Amino acid sequence: MNARLARAASSLAVIAVLLAAWELAVGYGLLKAYQFPPPSKIARGFVELSLTGFPTGVSLWTHTGVTIWRVLQGYVAAILLAVPLGLLIGALPVLDKLSAPLIVFCRSVATLSLLPLVIVWFGAGELTKVVLIGYGCFWTMLSNVIAGVRYVDPVLVRAARSCGLQGPELYREIVLPAALPRIFAGARMALGVGFMVIVGAEMIGTIQGLGALIMEARTFYRSEITIVGMLVIGLLGFLISSGLAGLERVLMPWAGNLDQVRR
Amino acid sequence: MSGTALRSNDLALGLIGTLAVILLWETSVRTGLIDPAVFPSPSLAIAAASERLTARQLGENLSWSLARVFSGFALGALAGVLVGVLAGWYRRFGLVVSPLVELLRPIPPLAWIPLAIIWFGLGEPSKFFIIFLGAFFPVVTAAYQGMRSVDPMLLRAGQTMGLSGVPLLLRVAIPAAAPDLATGLRIGWGLSFGVLVAAELIAADRGLGYMIIAERNAGGSVGVIIVGILLIGALNLLTDAAIGVAIRHWVGRWHGS
Repeated sequence: MNARLARAASSLAVIAVLLAAWELAVGYGLLKAYQFPPPSKIARGFVELSLTGFPTGVSLWTHTGVTIWRVLQGYVAAILLAVPLGLLIGALPVLDKLSAPLIVFCRSVATLSLLPLVIVWFGAGELTKVVLIGYGCFWTMLSNVIAGVRYVDPVLVRAARSCGLQGPELYREIVLPAALPRIFAGARMALGVGFMVIVGAEMIGTIQGLGALIMEARTFYRSEITIVGMLVIGLLGFLISSGLAGLERVLMPWAGNLDQVRR
Repeated sequence: MSGTALRSNDLALGLIGTLAVILLWETSVRTGLIDPAVFPSPSLAIAAASERLTARQLGENLSWSLARVFSGFALGALAGVLVGVLAGWYRRFGLVVSPLVELLRPIPPLAWIPLAIIWFGLGEPSKFFIIFLGAFFPVVTAAYQGMRSVDPMLLRAGQTMGLSGVPLLLRVAIPAAAPDLATGLRIGWGLSFGVLVAAELIAADRGLGYMIIAERNAGGSVGVIIVGILLIGALNLLTDAAIGVAIRHWVGRWHGS
């Protein structure tokens, strides 16, 4: 416990020293204030952004809310489609073999490269962003659900068989619980993908959302606002990934060593 | 023997599945089920692409994209390995570097685009920087984790045999951390590639990403866009497989296959 405390203290000290050096370097003219807005200016930017907003009237909280809402829509739609489909494909080896190359390919297609196509189809509005997030999340989720079902420890399945379980019952009682940790890990990865995609998707054709905020701020030479936006994006990503990891530990205590198993 | 037969059987099934989907796509456009102006069939898309793009244009855009992603990845991965390994090996250095990496790592590479433009302008350096970051963060994290989880027994065995300092690092610790490094490099490659396309869409005047967004901005053919997307996907798949093979070869020297 003491060691951890000492480590946290030294981390904070490093960051504090760095911030102080940065502030001084700008103060003495070593760094340009536009390229490296000093921490004090970033703090003022944060206050302005949360009270008046940028562009005026659109506060930081609106941007954040819009981004989260877009990600959630695409993410939930992707999960709802991918889980049943993945369970089905994973249960039928023939289907898995038929679809494997296609799924690998679709996963390799860089999600944002679909942007021009999706704009042609759905215009530059909300739907385009949601579809892109959905695409990215879907393939990540699908391949993890399939892998989760397919690579259940055969010893488990054989043990259950010798206890007389078979067919749908075997699937429900043994395969699903054993696949659940991998499925959950897929859900966590997919959300990460969603956040990657949204930042890029928001840089084109919108003025709301965190991706749009940092791009707009640059256009108006407000680099401190860009940095505030980046920090909020980072914080959001951090909170979500650590929140989901915590949830995973609480919900699935039997998944403890998954990371080691997967290697 | 039966193993290879099984393998080729799987491959045949995969091929059948892929062909079936392509055929379904082609026929549903041919029969008018899908409007070819909105979603052209593979044959129409290829015809449109060969009409609107010369091989030279395509080659130029392709080589720009590849040059960008390779150079950004190579330097990002190199820096990631260097910083991660040193931070894992020298405790003091690790204490200084790891808080910074932990602080910046959750920011996705694409979110750096505006700042990269502020720092480096709209030219090549800003795209290089974004791709560099895409490779750097996964690699530095994996290298650091790998170094921290090297079995102390191995290090002690190395010391008993008279190794210490840099030779111990190079001959024992890094090979022991190789699987983690490999995972990080693989993830870093995927991220660099995804970031490349995004950077080219948002701010570039050359490259495959630019090629498809320019086609849509000019109100050109959807076929060209589709061919571009498929090309980017195939490129990602091929390079990822090549890197996978190279990495397995490298890691296999110490850890078996």
